[in-house]
Amino acid sequence: MNAVKALRILMTLALATAAVLVGVALWGHYMLSPWTRDGRVRADVVNLAPDVAGLVAEIAVHDNQYVRQGELLYRIDPERYRLALAEAEARLQAADVERRLRAREAARRAHLDSQVISSENRDASSSQAAAADARYAEALAARDLARLNLARTDVRAPADGYVTNFNAEVGDYAPAGKALLALIDAHSFRIVGYFEETKLPKLREGDPVRIELMDGGTLRGRVESVPRGINDHNDAVGRSMLADVNPTFNWVRLAQRVPVRVRIDAVPDGVRLVAGQTCTVIVEPAPRAG
Amino acid sequence: MPRELALAGILFPTLLLVFVAAAALTWLLDTLSARLGLQRFLWHPPLVRLALFVCLFGAGGLLIYGR
Repeated sequence: MNAVKALRILMTLALATAAVLVGVALWGHYMLSPWTRDGRVRADVVNLAPDVAGLVAEIAVHDNQYVRQGELLYRIDPERYRLALAEAEARLQAADVERRLRAREAARRAHLDSQVISSENRDASSSQAAAADARYAEALAARDLARLNLARTDVRAPADGYVTNFNAEVGDYAPAGKALLALIDAHSFRIVGYFEETKLPKLREGDPVRIELMDGGTLRGRVESVPRGINDHNDAVGRSMLADVNPTFNWVRLAQRVPVRVRIDAVPDGVRLVAGQTCTVIVEPAPRAG
Repeated sequence: MPRELALAGILFPTLLLVFVAAAALTWLLDTLSARLGLQRFLWHPPLVRLALFVCLFGAGGLLIYGR
């Protein structure tokens, strides 16, 4: 009878002890280890605006196409810039003729006797020659500028990437500086994990990271860097230049989230990254001494 | 096992599913052991029930988070 009673107590206590151990282990993994559900895929986006204004004459790509660096994306109607170049070349020619004329004049007068020509006249002609030189240089620069403008009617990809949100048509007027499309740099994909500040001490640059995308894909990466600043919402200035401080509960406070940058090791085949995707970021810290 | 499950566009933690499964399994084992009269061998059945649930839930959770 006593043996059965001891067995009963022992069984119960053993199970209770196991429960405590398992509970503590789960708490450690769930609450204390550095991981977050709040991760995003990010990429560098170039807003591609034409450098010169004009009608869109040709579109060489379509939406969501992959392009290589230097590939033609679209072309602004070059006719106006071709004419501007012709004009600049004509002006350059005129300036060249004038420069040579003035130079000959000045050289001739420099050798004339002071009986024949006044020193004022001689001075004036050498100044005119110098001015004509300067005008030639000006016309040369204007010609180069016209050439550059003509070259800039071709809008080319500044990096390998994906054309995104391209909604211009042939015949649209494109003002200089207004972006017509976004180019997502194909080599700039990275993960940003918004970690609670309480978990920051548990991760370090170089720690291996597992990334679980919402669509089921899994990636590997490494912690690249941790930022040294986020916005402080109590830093605002209200009316009358007074500090605008939010009241908070004394007991319940929310941990701030800090965006930790994660470099992706390699994107496996079959995983398509879309900037803005949600993912879970799990840091697997290397065992550290101390 | 993924840490989140998507259901109709809503993402919820797999742990929620584990919780429900552990509760169901605990209830099943409890009923079964009562039918078979095994509870004679237990000192404090409610404590055992709770411990059993925590063990099942924790084991399921560790399968997901313990990697």
